Amino acid sequence: MNALSRRRFLQLLGLSSAAAAAPTLLRAQAQSVVPAATTNRVVVVGGGFAGATVAKYLRLWGGAAVDVTLVEANPSHVSCILSNLVLNNSMSLSQITFNYAALQQKYGVRIVTGKAVGIEGKALRLADGQRLDYERLVLAPGIAFLPVPGLKMNKVPHAWQAGPQTTLLQRQLAAMPAGGTFVMTIPPAPYRCPPGPYERACLVADYLKRNKPGSKVIVLDANPKIMAEEHTFSTAFNQTHAGIIEYRPGVTLNQVDSRQRIAKTSQGDVKASVLNVIPTQQAGGIVASAGLIPAGQRWAPVNPLSYESTLLPGVHIIGDAQGTGQPKSGHIANAEAKVCADAILRAFAGEAPDPAPVTNSACYSPITANTASWLTAVYAYNPNTGLMEVVPDSFGEAPAPTQGNYEKMFDWAAGLFGDTFA
Amino acid sequence: MTSLRSCFFLASLALPLSTALAAPPAGRLLAAQCAQCHGTGGQSASGIDSLAGESASELYSEMLEMKYSQDTGDIMHRQARGYTEEQIRLIANYYATLNGGGSGDGGSGGGSKSGDD
Repeated sequence: MNALSRRRFLQLLGLSSAAAAAPTLLRAQAQSVVPAATTNRVVVVGGGFAGATVAKYLRLWGGAAVDVTLVEANPSHVSCILSNLVLNNSMSLSQITFNYAALQQKYGVRIVTGKAVGIEGKALRLADGQRLDYERLVLAPGIAFLPVPGLKMNKVPHAWQAGPQTTLLQRQLAAMPAGGTFVMTIPPAPYRCPPGPYERACLVADYLKRNKPGSKVIVLDANPKIMAEEHTFSTAFNQTHAGIIEYRPGVTLNQVDSRQRIAKTSQGDVKASVLNVIPTQQAGGIVASAGLIPAGQRWAPVNPLSYESTLLPGVHIIGDAQGTGQPKSGHIANAEAKVCADAILRAFAGEAPDPAPVTNSACYSPITANTASWLTAVYAYNPNTGLMEVVPDSFGEAPAPTQGNYEKMFDWAAGLFGDTFA
Repeated sequence: MTSLRSCFFLASLALPLSTALAAPPAGRLLAAQCAQCHGTGGQSASGIDSLAGESASELYSEMLEMKYSQDTGDIMHRQARGYTEEQIRLIANYYATLNGGGSGDGGSGGGSKSGDD
């Protein structure tokens, strides 16, 4: 099972490059349909889980009737999902890096490498001066970090956007002396991936236990309590990783001494051998710069039936940047993207959005190098409140972390990666 | 399997070749919420079950079994609780139509809570 699911996982990972080997007929057909439509143009900004999914599903469902352009600054996306497993050397970054070849070749999405800098009328302006006209614009820029006084990210990594930051933290952990202290700070909710920081604390503790005897993990949480899978993580902190993890809730980070690796907090200074500061987050990139976040807020208000901005018609915001109150994760970003794609296609057909959309969240969190837990919930639109709300009984976490869940985690991730990028 | 897969993608890309957009088929958006784990169009790329072309009545009764199970120790038992019986019927009917396969029963007999496996 172990070897099998890993093999399947690796096979799937090959798909993005294997898309080039898609049947010639299919490829020819996909290409031939690209230029057909000029009146139903959608421009998507951001090639993470939200942006890639909306681009793919617009073409999967809309075909030649919709012209889709994906604007992304990087040639590939590095998944935050599974990236904590890079820290303990269980995986490599290349295994969670996805390019846009399948979107382009299999689905006929036009890929534009560039940075979106402004919205002018019904056109998106890029940093290189290009203007992309659209009927609908979808923004999926993910998160941006609020400044932390003294924080130098090249010395004190966040590793909350996977890539070079992940590698930096991995190297710092590998170089940490035995008996050292790993200190991480968790920002006030909402932030990307509610269970993610607690998962990281567990994996780092597990890694240090085996590789750096006598080391400790200190978790400084700005929140009053564990924000996800409270049963799972409190058990992990107090039993599985007892004596290694010290969890301190309600600690506000004020300042960082990046050279000395000191977190200056509401409860005094904490000195680290390796310091991991995850700063407070808000909607990133063009969502912030285009004024789609109201003053005093961190996320973009949208209509949950279509993810259309309540501030700027014709512009949709999905994934971590949107402010419906649904958790911020790759899985639910993919779910939101489908609701958004469906609503845009209906709008092109002169129809109202589906009045009863449903999304779901599911994720597996490793607790050690061979066990994992899970968390899941289904969200449904409540017409009385106008909100996406948890369907009560659908919300739950794994009874206990198991090895079986650790294996299922790779199936879940392979499914999600495939549904998004392949 | 490979040929089924190709057929599916050909069909899915070929269907909307016209430049006019019509109302989406019932259940498509709901069913797409299964795809994060069960694969695009219900074609799984991992060890998780595929859903495309399954019998609608079987999908429906399995989902209801999970929805009303006392056991909440499985992720799908939680997921199934998130959908109404009517939504589950739409999802099951939609997956049964994919690939042009399935048992062709259209889920009309799916009112029973008892599983048939």
